[in-house]
Amino acid sequence: MSNRNPLDYSINKPLVTSFNPFRYLFKDIILVLALIAVLVFGLAMLYSSSGQSFLMVMRQSIYVFAGLIMMIFISHLKPDSYKNILMHSYWIGLLLLIYVLFNPAEGYTTSRWIDIGFFQFQPSEIIRLILPLSIVAYLHRKESNIRLEDWLYTTLAALMCSYLVFEQPDLGTSIIVFTSGIIPIYLAGLPYRVIAAYVGILAIVSPFIWSSLLDYQKQRVLTYFDSNVDPLGDGWNIAQSQTAIGSGGFFGKGYLEGTQSQLNFIPESHSDFIFSVIGEEFGLLGITCLFIVYGMIIWRIFKIGLSAQSPFERIACCSLGFIFLLFILINVSMVIGIIPVVGVPLPLISQGGTSIVVHLLAFGVILSAKRPQL
Amino acid sequence: MRAIQDLRRDEKDAQLLRSRSGVIFFFLLILIVLGVFKILQLTVLDRVNYEAESDKNRIINIPIYPARGLITLEDGTLIAENIVTKDLYIKTKLYENSIDQVEQLHDKVLDENRKIDQLQVPIQDEEKIWLARNLSEQELAKYEVQKNSIPNVQLEAKLRRYLPHKNLFSHVIGHLGLINMDERLSLSRAEYPDDSFIGKVGLEKSYEKTLRGKAGISLMEVDVYGNKIREINRVSPDKPFNLTLTLDLRLQKIAQEELANRRGAVVALEPATGFIKALVSSPDYNPNILNGSESGSLVSQSSLEDSPFFNRAISGLYPPASTIKPFIGLLGLEEELITESTIIEDKGFFQLKEEGRKYRGWKEDGHGRVDLKKAIVESSDVYFYELASKLTIDRISSFLLRFGFGEISGIDLINESKSILPTRNWKLGNIGEAWFVGDTINIGIGQGYISSTPLQLAVSLSAIANKGKIFRPKLIRNNQLDAYEPELLMEVQIENPRHWNIIEKSMISVIDSWNGTAHNLYEEGGITIAGKTGTAQIKSLTDQDLTVREEYEGIRKDIKNRDHALFASYGPVPDPNLVVVVIVENGESGSAVAAPIAKRLIEQYQININES
Repeated sequence: MSNRNPLDYSINKPLVTSFNPFRYLFKDIILVLALIAVLVFGLAMLYSSSGQSFLMVMRQSIYVFAGLIMMIFISHLKPDSYKNILMHSYWIGLLLLIYVLFNPAEGYTTSRWIDIGFFQFQPSEIIRLILPLSIVAYLHRKESNIRLEDWLYTTLAALMCSYLVFEQPDLGTSIIVFTSGIIPIYLAGLPYRVIAAYVGILAIVSPFIWSSLLDYQKQRVLTYFDSNVDPLGDGWNIAQSQTAIGSGGFFGKGYLEGTQSQLNFIPESHSDFIFSVIGEEFGLLGITCLFIVYGMIIWRIFKIGLSAQSPFERIACCSLGFIFLLFILINVSMVIGIIPVVGVPLPLISQGGTSIVVHLLAFGVILSAKRPQL
Repeated sequence: MRAIQDLRRDEKDAQLLRSRSGVIFFFLLILIVLGVFKILQLTVLDRVNYEAESDKNRIINIPIYPARGLITLEDGTLIAENIVTKDLYIKTKLYENSIDQVEQLHDKVLDENRKIDQLQVPIQDEEKIWLARNLSEQELAKYEVQKNSIPNVQLEAKLRRYLPHKNLFSHVIGHLGLINMDERLSLSRAEYPDDSFIGKVGLEKSYEKTLRGKAGISLMEVDVYGNKIREINRVSPDKPFNLTLTLDLRLQKIAQEELANRRGAVVALEPATGFIKALVSSPDYNPNILNGSESGSLVSQSSLEDSPFFNRAISGLYPPASTIKPFIGLLGLEEELITESTIIEDKGFFQLKEEGRKYRGWKEDGHGRVDLKKAIVESSDVYFYELASKLTIDRISSFLLRFGFGEISGIDLINESKSILPTRNWKLGNIGEAWFVGDTINIGIGQGYISSTPLQLAVSLSAIANKGKIFRPKLIRNNQLDAYEPELLMEVQIENPRHWNIIEKSMISVIDSWNGTAHNLYEEGGITIAGKTGTAQIKSLTDQDLTVREEYEGIRKDIKNRDHALFASYGPVPDPNLVVVVIVENGESGSAVAAPIAKRLIEQYQININES
């Protein structure tokens, strides 16, 4: 034993002693546990913020469960095997965005929802994550270098989705869709001369864009600058959500004890504004804990992404990591009132099956980039 | 280890990815830093403000008003209670846009007769316009059918003051009304919101605090729609006290019935305590209409011009007329200007000097030889003209003052008038002239400048009934907490107590003797009543130097110029338990009109006492 090659030892020993079915199944235990922690916490907050509706929690649990199964399934696929599907899923997303403009669900003033009988969803929720993945897949469909026209095509693809969302009309989401499309393009190495050209074009057309905005979109932007503009509109929403978070203080008012949320003072408290319920009931302490877990998730995404083998995997992971972080930041910033109100749910927590499932699918893609550890 | 080796193989790619990730992260970092600062500001720096804000959001104070205190008689009869009434209102903001709904309300819900007397001027406070108060059951049923088509008209149930006996106690209990600007100044909105009712007159006003109690507060948690979720805390209201009156229902009823809507007043009180047993002023009104607990007419049509809201029993000033004679007679005895047997010759008039002005008595031919008893029994004016002229005004007014003339009695009602007891200075100050002996002579028969309220006259007379003691007149027997004890107001001390008896005997003879002015009350074996009639002249025959016949033919054709009939009495002698003063305006004859009312009251009161 003593004259054995140290390298043999180090290679062989883990093989025998550290086979762990969980590590095999989940690939990255820290990431999966952090995800589950956030999801379970989310279900608990959903119960509190939905007026203690058990039904809503059950529905959400089904999506969470289905999403986790799909995530694990995808995580065991080889990225090359679904790269083409991802690339072409762009067209599905585009079709949904066109479809929703002509066939919106009834009962809304805007054309954002598709009603397929037993549930409703917003295609923009799907396109936010489909778009970056399909763009990465397109840019890295071949081993060869990316051509100049590929940058243009992908930029146009992102602009197209963004415009369709803008037509719903939903200014905030259209900006977010565009951002989530441009991040992978930039990370994949969009040349700076192309960027310069884009900026030049933007400078020329931006006055036309502003004049084409609807009053309601201008209103949303203006609310940000003065929350007294419409005390019962968005400004009122923000004031109520700030009151909720502020009155939570350091320790919070306790689970199910938040007066702002339990008495319905917070609008959309179970969906976009669920963060204010967390702040009210668990205080600064609860917010900090949530951010730490979110931080762990993002750390694992980049850890996996930066050590992935192929450029597709690397760019996809990093893009998704940034988009995930961006969604959190946008949602929280909106709820605490430092940016205007936009329709972005708090990832993995807000009510909404589509959002949860699509996010978990994206995490499946991330996990699949991690080499199986045997 | 292998991942790092892979990266090294593709170092250029990795380098690019890292640097570009850094750029994106830098931008996101701005948002992160801003967010962290904002969250710290919310949860740490401004926490206290937001806590207050959050409480302000969810907690509202709802005042709890206790039901107004009940008023009962000693036997438990309810005099003032609270009933639930249903009213319709519209928010002031909505009124202009809802004219059609209001019209529909008139057409389809409300009774026909309501349109005329109540709806022309809707009663308005700041937030609501009241369209109809106190809906009948029929109206309520119609409203239930129509309410979806008139959504801006809303129903409110309220506790309102209700007097089961309606008009009977109107001048004692009084009524409530919407709080007005003057009352607003001294009362908080928490205790009295803008649509609250407050006592305006009578006991409702003088015992407002006792009857209202103090509002409590309920701290309610509400949700964003204003729905009440739960009560967080409650400060219970201070319950008001119930009042028990000294009044006697049957006496009150008899007095009202006998006055029969004529203008007049009756005051009956217990001399030994000052407790008032009947206090009626006629005509009266129905306080329930003003309290909003009943619809109908406030006053009877016939009494509209007769000031039905004026409480004649405590505010009406009348010349005491001949009812003052016993007091003057008593003073004469005390001053030893006369004795029981002093006799004067009554030829029908009195002159200070030969050829001077003739002060005529009511009997043209005079009463002949008159002593004190006969002077009171037959009500000789001439006797008292002469006595008064000898007594002088100074002695008369200082003596009458001791009986409460010229004072308010201090009953627990507002608006009591101060009766007038003239002196030399009073005339100089109020009329601007010096006092003449002629003025004194008029005072001798209770005319001229002197005036009394029926209540004050009853209080003063109770001194004779009590042989000196005068108790403060009281309407409240107890307030649930304390019993109101009799309160000795003053005691008239006289030199010779036998003089009380001389006066009392004379007053008894007013009824008992065949020649008494109120002999019509006499009945064999009946109870002994001491009394004195009075006929208060409005157009004084003393001033105009006319004979009685001339008077009747001229001036008195007009009812309003006729004399007021008075009767002041107490009984049964020797242990009187009721002093009764009756005044019937323009009733002409104290003996025929006023005296029988007093007799019925005294008799009824004996029955009541024997029963209990």
